[in-house]
Amino acid sequence: MASAEPIKVLIGALGGEGGGVLAAWLQRSAIASGHFVQGTSIPGVAQRTGATTYYLEIVPGAAARHASSQARPVLALNAAPGEVDLVVASELLEAARAVAAGFVTPDRTTLIASSARVFTIDERTAMADGRLDSARMREVARRFSRDAIIADFAAAATAAQGPLNAVLLGAVAASRVLPIAAEACRTAIRAEGKAVDANLRAFDAGLAMGANRAGLTPRDKGDKIPDAGVGPLGATLLDAVTRGGKGSDPRSEASDRQGLTPLLAGFPAEARMVLGEGVRRLTDYQDAAWAERYLARVRRLAGLPGADAAFITELARHLALRMSVEDVIRVAELKLRAARLARVAADAKARPGDIVDVTEYLKPGPEEIFGLLPPRLGRWALARVRRDRAWPMKVRTTRLSGFLRLRALAALKRWRPGMLRFAEEEAWVERWLVLVERTLVVSPPAAREVVASASLVRGYGDTYKRGLANWQRIVEEVVEPMLAGDLPRAHFADAVLQARLAASKDPEGEALGDTIAALRRAGSSQRAAAE
Amino acid sequence: MAEVSFAKEIESLRLGTGDTFYGEGILAVTKALLQSGVSYVGGYQGAPVSHLLDVLVQSEDLLTGLGIHLETCTNEAAAAAMLAASINYPLRGAVTWKSIVGTNVAADALSNLASPGVQGGALIIVGEDYGEGASVIQERTHAFAVKSSLWLIDPRPDLPTLVRSVEKGFELSEASNTPVMLELRIRACHMFGSFAARDNVAAAHSAKNRLGPARFNYDRLSHPPATFRQEADKNDRRLPAARKFILDHALNERLGPAEGDIGIIVQGGLFNVLNGRLALAGLSDADGATRLPTLVLNVVHPLVPEEITAFCAGKRAVLIVEEGAPDFIEQAVGQILRKADMQTKLSGKDVLPMAGEYTPLVVGKGLAAFLAAHGYGAPELQAWIAKVDAQRAEVDKALGGPLPARPPTFCTGCPERPVFSAMKLLRREMGPVHVSADIGCHSFATFAPFSQGNSILGYGMSLASAAAVSGTQATRPISVMGDGGFWHNGLITGVAGAVFNKDDSVLVVMNNGYSSATGQQDILSSKEEADGRGRSLDIEAALKSLGVNWIKRVRTYGVTGVAGTLREALRTRAKGLKVIIADGECQLARQRRIRPELARKVAAGERVVRTQFWVDPEVCTGDHSCIRLSGCPSLTLKANEDPLRTDPVAHVNNDCVGCGLCGEVAHAAQLCPSFAQVDIIQNPRTWDRVARALSSTLMRLLGGGSRRVAAQPQLVPAE
Repeated sequence: MASAEPIKVLIGALGGEGGGVLAAWLQRSAIASGHFVQGTSIPGVAQRTGATTYYLEIVPGAAARHASSQARPVLALNAAPGEVDLVVASELLEAARAVAAGFVTPDRTTLIASSARVFTIDERTAMADGRLDSARMREVARRFSRDAIIADFAAAATAAQGPLNAVLLGAVAASRVLPIAAEACRTAIRAEGKAVDANLRAFDAGLAMGANRAGLTPRDKGDKIPDAGVGPLGATLLDAVTRGGKGSDPRSEASDRQGLTPLLAGFPAEARMVLGEGVRRLTDYQDAAWAERYLARVRRLAGLPGADAAFITELARHLALRMSVEDVIRVAELKLRAARLARVAADAKARPGDIVDVTEYLKPGPEEIFGLLPPRLGRWALARVRRDRAWPMKVRTTRLSGFLRLRALAALKRWRPGMLRFAEEEAWVERWLVLVERTLVVSPPAAREVVASASLVRGYGDTYKRGLANWQRIVEEVVEPMLAGDLPRAHFADAVLQARLAASKDPEGEALGDTIAALRRAGSSQRAAAE
Repeated sequence: MAEVSFAKEIESLRLGTGDTFYGEGILAVTKALLQSGVSYVGGYQGAPVSHLLDVLVQSEDLLTGLGIHLETCTNEAAAAAMLAASINYPLRGAVTWKSIVGTNVAADALSNLASPGVQGGALIIVGEDYGEGASVIQERTHAFAVKSSLWLIDPRPDLPTLVRSVEKGFELSEASNTPVMLELRIRACHMFGSFAARDNVAAAHSAKNRLGPARFNYDRLSHPPATFRQEADKNDRRLPAARKFILDHALNERLGPAEGDIGIIVQGGLFNVLNGRLALAGLSDADGATRLPTLVLNVVHPLVPEEITAFCAGKRAVLIVEEGAPDFIEQAVGQILRKADMQTKLSGKDVLPMAGEYTPLVVGKGLAAFLAAHGYGAPELQAWIAKVDAQRAEVDKALGGPLPARPPTFCTGCPERPVFSAMKLLRREMGPVHVSADIGCHSFATFAPFSQGNSILGYGMSLASAAAVSGTQATRPISVMGDGGFWHNGLITGVAGAVFNKDDSVLVVMNNGYSSATGQQDILSSKEEADGRGRSLDIEAALKSLGVNWIKRVRTYGVTGVAGTLREALRTRAKGLKVIIADGECQLARQRRIRPELARKVAAGERVVRTQFWVDPEVCTGDHSCIRLSGCPSLTLKANEDPLRTDPVAHVNNDCVGCGLCGEVAHAAQLCPSFAQVDIIQNPRTWDRVARALSSTLMRLLGGGSRRVAAQPQLVPAE
C-alpha cells in the first residue's frame, strides 16, 4: 500500500537547549499516536551553543510498518525548501535563518518561534549597538509563513520554572499541525522520566500560550529602545528617585519636578524630557549649581542659528553624560545606593530569607587615583608613576569594611570641583562645545555630527583613553581641516559621521585610519580636478 | 563517564527476535554487531560515531555475557591494528572512528591489515563527517577503500538496511578474506528509526571460549615476499569472490521498471534524497516506488561490472549520483562501459557539483538538468526550483542583508576560555604571536571574539606543526593542545619530537579531564572512578619522563596568572620546550556532577552558597570590551534603561555558573568597575544572619541605605 504524504517538521535550536529531547518527545508521542516516524539531527555531540537543527517526517497511521522490513516508507533526512509543514525555532534569529533557507513558505508552513533573542557573538562584541532588528525578523517570519505563532516562549519557560523545549512542545501540541494529542506529549514526557514535573509545568504553559493566541504578547527585550529622551520620563524620574541616595523621598521629587518646569520653559518641547533628566542627573551628581551650569551651556548654543530642536536634544543628551562622567567618586556613590541591593538580589533570583553579598571588582589606575588630587599636585604625581600601574581591589559593599572604603570615596564629592579629573573633563567639554559652535556656523548638519562624536569618549581605563585618542584624531584630521577648508566641505557632515562609525568598528582604530586616509585621497583628487 | 547516559539504549541492545528496536542509526549498528556474533569491538570516539562506543562502554555486563572484548583505543591507529586478531583467527571484530581524519590516522595499520587479509569478518564503521555539521576537512573515505582494496558499504539510510549491511558486511568480509568498511553520513548516524530485532549471538570463540595461538604461517605477515603474493591474491581471488557475493546476495538494489531508456545509479546513502526529488517530479512516491530504472549501490566499492553493464544495457543515458570528489564511481562506471563498448551516455558531475553536500535542492537541480537533457520534461521539479530560488532572493531583500552565522563556542564557564582571554590580553601587550591550534573544544578560539590560531594540522598535531615555525620566527610560537589530543598522539608526535630536536617553543595543554568535544569520554588522565575508565595518569609526570624541564601548572580561571605564566614562557632565557599545563575541569561535566548534589542540599535545608556575576547597569557605559575579551554565552546584552544612553549594556544572565572569568578579565584588563560578584547564601545559619544584621545596622548608622535584604523572587526572564 502506498504511504500517505509524510508530515514534515524542522526544529531549529542552539546546542545545549534540548532540541534533541524535544525531537525525541515528538518521535515517542508520534509512535504512541499510531504514526510512522523518522527523525535525524545536525550536528553531532561536538557542537556547543552553535546553531543545530532536527528534522522529522511523520507518516500518519503507519505505525505498524515500524516492525516490518519490507514496504517501509522512504523518508528524507534533509528538509527540502518549500516542503516543511511545521518549523519550530527556539530563538528568533534561528527562525529567520529557517525562513532565509526557504524552509518556511506561505503556502504550507506553520512557524512556532520564540521571539526572545540569544545574541550572536558579532552582536555582542560590537562597540556600540550591534543588535539585529528583531521587529524586522518578526515581520519577515510572519510574511513568509502560512501561520506564525511568535511569542516569548523563553520568558514563559522562566515563569514556569521549566525548560524552553517543553514550552515549545506545548505550543506544538496547541497548534494541532501534527496528529498528536496533548496527552500523548505528556505521556512522552513522563516516559522520558527526567525532571518530569518541571517539564509538564512548562509544557502546560506552552499549551496555554498556543491555545490562547489572542493572549500572545511578544516581548522583545532584544528590540532597540526608541531614541533616548523619548522614553517615559515619568518612569525614568521615578526610577532615578527610587535609586535612592539624595532626594530619594517622593515629596522632594514632586517639588523637584515642579521646580523643573520654569527652568526648561525657554527650550523647545522636544528637548525638555532630556533636559529634565539632565538636570536631575547633574543635581544628583554634584549640586543644583552644577545643573544650572549645564542649562546655561545648552542655552548658549540653543540661541545660535541652525540649532533646531533635534540638535538641542542631542546636545543636551551628550552634554549631560559628559558633565556627569563616572569618576571614582560617582562610582562609589552609585554602588552604595540601597535600591541596588534589592535589584541584585532579584537579578540573581535570590529567595526570601537568602542572604546576598555583593563584592565589587574595582581596579583604579593612576588617572583615577591621582585624578582626585588638585590639578598641579595630581599632574606632578602622575608624572612619577608608571601608567600601567593599577590597584586591584575586591570590595564587599554589603559588609562594613567594604562599605566604609566606598563611603570614604563618596564623601570626597564636595571637593570634586577642585580635582584634576574634573578640570580635565571641563577642559574637554569646553573644547567640544566651542568646536560645535564653530561648526554650526559653517554647516548645521556637520555640527550635529560633531555633537554625536562625544559618544566616542566614554568608559574607563583603556576604553576611555582609546576613545579620547580617537576623538582627538577625528577633530585634528577631519573636523579642523574641514573648518580650515583644507578638505572639501561638501561632505563635511558625512565625513565626521564616517569617521565616528569607523572609530567604533575596531578597538585598535585601524578602520578609523583607513577612513581618514580615504577622506584625504578624496579631498586631494577633488582639488586636483578643480585646478 | 560519557556526557550522555544510555540506560534506555542499553536495554534496547538486549532486545530479541519479535521485538522492535527504536533508536539512533549508530545504535542500530551497535545492535547489529551483537546480532552478528562479534568477538571484539573497539574504536576511538568522534562525532558522528561516538555513541557506538559510549553505549558499549556503559553496557559492559551485556558484553561480558556475550564474551565480547571491548577496547577503548587511544587512537584510530590502535583501533585499526586491533583488527589484526581477525588475520589469524576466525573472530569477527568491529572498530569505529570518525572519518576522514580517523582513517588517515589508521592508514598504516589498514594497509598492513588489508594486504594479508582476514579469516574472521573485520568491519570498520566510519562516520563520514561530510557536509552540513561536519567538523573536519572534506575528503572521501572511498579513496582508502580503492587504494588498499578494502570493500566499502554505503547503505540506504533505513535501519533494516543498515542492520542487514552490518550482518552481510561480515559475511562479505569472510567470503573474500577482506576487511570491509561501512560508511555512515552524519544524518544517518543520528537518524531515529526502527527495525525488527533478532537475538544477540555469542561468538564461538571470544573472551569466554578462548583460542590457542595460530600456527606460524608466513602468508599472514605483511612482509616480503608474502606481500607480493598478497597483492596478486587481492586481485585474482578476493576481488572476484567479493563481486560474486555482492551479486549472489543482491546487496545492491535494482529498483523501478526493468525497461527504460534512461536510468540512475546512486550511492545507497543518497537514495532518500534522490527519491524525494523523483517523487516531486512525479517519478516516485513516499515508498520509493520509482518509475525510473534505479540502481542503488549499497556497496560502492568494488563495483560489479556485470551488474553495471546489465543495468546500462539498452539505455541512452545514466546519471551517477555520487557525493564529493573525486568522482570515483563515475570514473569506474565509465571504464566499465568503455571496456564493454557500450554507448550509454554517462552523466554525473556534469550536472551535479563536484564539491559539497548533495542536499535536496542540489540533487533536484542536477536531476532536472539530466531529465531535460534527455527529453524528459519535469515541470513540477523545474517550478519548485524556480520558486525556491525566487523566495530566497525575496527573503534576502526583506531581511536587508545576510544573517550572522552562529558558530559553536566555549560553554558557559568553560575552563579553556580564560586561557584565550589571557592570550588576547598578552597579544595587546607583546604584539602578535604565531598560534598553532589543534582539534578539540579549544579550536573554538579560532572564532570571534578570540580569532586566534594560524594553522590546524590535526588531532594532537599542534606542537609538531609548530616545529619549523619555532625555528624560523623571531618570537616563540604557542601551541595549544587538549589532554585528549595529548594522549591521542601529541605526546609522541609533538612533545617527544620537540624535546628530541630541542625546539624552542611553548605548549599549552588544556587539562580538563576528558575528551570533551566528543562527549566527555574518559582518557588516560581522567580521574579513576568506579563507573569510569580513567586511570588518573599525570600529564606532568609523562612530560618529565620525556625530559621536559620547563613545566608550569596554572589554574585557568586566574587570567592574570595565566597571562603572567605565558609571558614568562615567551620571555625566559631557558631554551627548549616550555609546557604550561592549564588545569580546569570541563564545566559541562562539573555542572552535571554538582548540580543535583547542590539541589539536594538546598532542599534538605543545608547551607549552600551560590555564586554568580552581575553587571551594574548604571556603571556600564555599553562599550562591550568585556565581551570582546570573554565571549561567555551568559555575558550578553540588554537594553540600556538610562534615558540618556542608547547603546545596550552588558548583562550576565542566569546561566552564569560563577566561574569568575568576567571579573578576572575586568581586573586583568583594567576594564571598568561594573562587575560584581554576587554570593547568595541559601539556608543561612544563625551566624550568617547575625553577622549580616550587625553589618547592616552599623552601615545604616553611618548613613548607608542598605536595609535588611529580603529578596522578593521576581520572575525576570533571563535574556
